[in-house]
Amino acid sequence: MDFMIEAKDLTKRYGDLMAVDGLNIGIKKGEVFGFLGPNGAGKTTSIKMMVGLLRPTSGKVFINGTDVKKIEKGTIGICPQELMLWENLTCKESLNLMADMYEVPKKIRDLRVKKLLSDLFLVEKADTIVSKLSGGMKRRLNLALSVVHEPEVVVLDEPSEGLDPQSRRVLWNYIRALRDEEGKTVILTTHIMDEADQLSDRIAIIDHGKLIRLDTPESLKKEIGEGDVVDLKLSDTSRNQDLINELANEKDVISVVEVKGRINIRALNAVAKLPMMMQTVERLDVQVEDISVRQNTLEDVFIDLTGTGLRE
Amino acid sequence: MKFISIAVKDFKELIRDRRGLFFILLFPIFFMMIFGFAFGGMGDNNTPHNIAVVNLDQGTINSTGSNVNFGNNLTAELQDQNYPQNNDVKLFNVTTTTDSNAKDLLRTRTVDAELVIPANFSDSVQSLINNTIQSSTGQTSSASTSTNKITSTLTISGDTSYIGFGVAQGTLIGFLSQYQQGVVTAITGAQPVQYINTSVQSVAGTTSFTEFDFLAPGMMVFAILLLATTVAAILTREVESGTLLRLKLSKMRSFDLLFGGLIPWSLVAGAQVVILLVVAIILGLKWQGSVYSILLAIFVGIIAGIASISLAMIIASFAKNDRQAANLGTLIVVPTTFLTGSFFPLPAEYINIFGHSFQIYGILPWTHTLTALRSVLVYGSGWSVVSSDVIISAVLTLILFVIGVFLFSKTRLGAES
Repeated sequence: MDFMIEAKDLTKRYGDLMAVDGLNIGIKKGEVFGFLGPNGAGKTTSIKMMVGLLRPTSGKVFINGTDVKKIEKGTIGICPQELMLWENLTCKESLNLMADMYEVPKKIRDLRVKKLLSDLFLVEKADTIVSKLSGGMKRRLNLALSVVHEPEVVVLDEPSEGLDPQSRRVLWNYIRALRDEEGKTVILTTHIMDEADQLSDRIAIIDHGKLIRLDTPESLKKEIGEGDVVDLKLSDTSRNQDLINELANEKDVISVVEVKGRINIRALNAVAKLPMMMQTVERLDVQVEDISVRQNTLEDVFIDLTGTGLRE
Repeated sequence: MKFISIAVKDFKELIRDRRGLFFILLFPIFFMMIFGFAFGGMGDNNTPHNIAVVNLDQGTINSTGSNVNFGNNLTAELQDQNYPQNNDVKLFNVTTTTDSNAKDLLRTRTVDAELVIPANFSDSVQSLINNTIQSSTGQTSSASTSTNKITSTLTISGDTSYIGFGVAQGTLIGFLSQYQQGVVTAITGAQPVQYINTSVQSVAGTTSFTEFDFLAPGMMVFAILLLATTVAAILTREVESGTLLRLKLSKMRSFDLLFGGLIPWSLVAGAQVVILLVVAIILGLKWQGSVYSILLAIFVGIIAGIASISLAMIIASFAKNDRQAANLGTLIVVPTTFLTGSFFPLPAEYINIFGHSFQIYGILPWTHTLTALRSVLVYGSGWSVVSSDVIISAVLTLILFVIGVFLFSKTRLGAES
């Protein structure tokens, strides 16, 4: 298969720390590729190597069949996690500057800047100094600056971090348009599982520098069990582990984990399993404060694969 | 022309950052004012000027047939002269010596200036006396020798970048003028005709200088050097804010970024020269120049500005954030300003390279900037006088720029390892 981006045995070592360990990934042309992993899992390091910003300890990266070291500048557009903006320039000046840096002819530049400002709802702020923009506007400008030269590959590193739901919708629509209308290949890293689920055609889950899973969101959710999750909260959370130990031994329970003080029990046809769960609760003589049943989500998959321990 | 886009960007950022602009332009003005008030009235104090006198005068025969040596007479007068307002203090400390020894004394700054009395000095004084007698009595020429107009030139040499020389030469010129008049008046009772000329090497000024006149160009150099701190902080901020990463990913080359940045900042350096000159004149700078001098000074300032920006690139190659860049910049800029002699003159220190003797501070481009600015603004010198300093400054700036571009490109514009 022809990949737009292909990483082969990509490794990055910092002293004793193996940040990325033999990563092999192929990203198809025109897909939105989600990159998930806990903090410090090696996502940003992997992406930096994949776009040629960081020299790998070993391994190779090919962009459209060409070694990343030899690709023409401007093939990749990166929207970084941090805001990378000139605070004393206006939105339009910033976009014009970046277009000039990519040698976009003036006529085309003017049209693109106009369209970007319109697509990302920044027309009214075109001549406003960046330092006077709101957080959401700055994030949208951050994205616009990364795509003003119309790169073939767009890397979005946690693009909607800290955005309100309205701004997030604008951003999501724009990312979909990048793929559907312009045929761009988009790499998306995010901690917002809903975002990865809604936007990604395929998702790679990475932890401890290694690729754990690579599949479509639907397949990933199926892989760790179709069905539902019973989400319950005990009055006395110090008894959580007792209940987890008991339920883990039940044959109909696929998995049981503690997430933010609550217990998530995954099981096929969870509603039918509720009487069994409640009997266990009574046997342990603990009180249920809150209980709900919901469908399996990507976050459940993520927690199931990467665990609940903090990485920072 | 990506460097033009970068230059426009930097210029807009510079203009819109009011606080930064305030610091860049007004901070040196405050310094200038402090030095102006502190040193503006100094230089007229009663300290003897150390001078070396090289008397080459061979004497002459006067109208009565006696041998006279006006060179010896002038030397004695210099030794005896006291400050008019304080009769206990000598005007000059005179060391009579040879030309080569005098040059050594100048280099070590044991003396402030060297006065060379030429071999025909007595002839010219006698000629002056004879002609003054003739013109005042209306006598026609009866003896051809007495009416020959013999001129001689007294040479005053010294380091034009040295405050002591400026003050000493100004005083010497005033004294020599008085001596000429005194000799003639004493013998003939008439006003003299100008027969004795003085030549000040590399110096055109004839006014009495104060220390501020020498410190004002130093303040300009200080202001231009301070640019290094500001530009280093701005370059580091570009790294810290990630905008450099954006530019790095684009088709921009190191040259575009650094050459584009040079344009607005070197213009700031030129503007600083003009602003500080105006402030200095208001505070009493006795400047000798014209519009041409200002243009020449701006040109010199722009070269120094490029040197400062090159230094900023070197600082920004190592600083991790803008605060560190500002601190590191100050740590480098202030001692460098001292080494250029901007605040006060430093003892001359020479090093020997390939048989040639070089002033050790001459390795800094700003030392030559200071010498050139003093010559242009204080003495009113033109291109012919300052060209060597400007050329050396430009060459040193080019070397510094190449080092700056190399280090900044290597540490900031390459792929991370």
